[in-house]
Amino acid sequence: MDTATQRKWDAASQNFDLFSYGDDKRLGPHKRRLFAKIRGETLMVAAGTGNDFRFFPPGHSIIAIDISARMLERAAKKAATYPGTIDLRQMDVCQLEFGNNTFDTVVTACTFCSVPKPVAGLGELYRVLKPGGQILMFEHVRSRIGPLGVFLDLMTPLSRRLGPDLNRDTVGNMQKAGFRIRREENVYLDIIKAIEGVKDPSAPTA
Amino acid sequence: MIFAIGDYLAGMLVGAATALAVRMVVWPGMDMVLAMIVGMALGMLVHLVLGLALGPLIGMFEAMIPASLIGMYGGMFFGMRDSMAAGSRTLQAGLAVGAIFGAIVVAGVRFYDRTLRGAVVDTGD
Repeated sequence: MDTATQRKWDAASQNFDLFSYGDDKRLGPHKRRLFAKIRGETLMVAAGTGNDFRFFPPGHSIIAIDISARMLERAAKKAATYPGTIDLRQMDVCQLEFGNNTFDTVVTACTFCSVPKPVAGLGELYRVLKPGGQILMFEHVRSRIGPLGVFLDLMTPLSRRLGPDLNRDTVGNMQKAGFRIRREENVYLDIIKAIEGVKDPSAPTA
Repeated sequence: MIFAIGDYLAGMLVGAATALAVRMVVWPGMDMVLAMIVGMALGMLVHLVLGLALGPLIGMFEAMIPASLIGMYGGMFFGMRDSMAAGSRTLQAGLAVGAIFGAIVVAGVRFYDRTLRGAVVDTGD
């Protein structure tokens, strides 16, 4: 397991809910609309403190992982209030302990701004998805608008110390990992996006 | 609606704070290029502090992105004005100009956001 990343998010867990309060209120309806597409066996990556559980449609059985034990401790209370089942497990997305072709849906929310090796992590998600399975991602990415992109590049060395990178090309990384982009939607400027990818049914089963 | 009001108030606060910081450091007759660089640096500092403080209330990106533009460009603009002695005569007027600049930037960002929002790829399957 990536212990440096683990320590960083253990530390961030203390104030995570405070810093994400506005985002949760503002972006919640967009997340709820995206996550309404959850179907079948579902894996959530980077559960955090469980703030996004409330945006899941009721009645599903979801496995939610996070690299940080502290985050999962905080998530446990919120998981208990979900009208379905959420099974919390500590795991690194780059070393998933699931077999090939296990899940129908993978969900992420502001996850791949923080995974140190995003293509490797997405490759693992591709591996555990069944052919025809979908990945639903609510992520912030590098802007393609000139000055905003440069600003996000400049801020990333600072933001990385406390939390996420701000200049990830997550759509490109998904494609590198093998996903086909089904839908890409701008939620705020071209920075916050709802992205849907699929593992094509014709993909070879590993 | 409440977030829209919050966006404008945050932008006005960052603009006014940037104008105040620049006014405290830049004097009439200061080399204009230096004044603009100093103004930009001050603006970036102000936007970082206020953006982080306001982010939990109105959303991190919705706070930081307009604040960065206000701080960077506003700082240069206010530095240029103050170095040319073309700035506002009173501190209150200077703060008002900063707040108006902040509100204009927020309006621009919100308009641009509206134009960009929505699907950019949709295969329909």
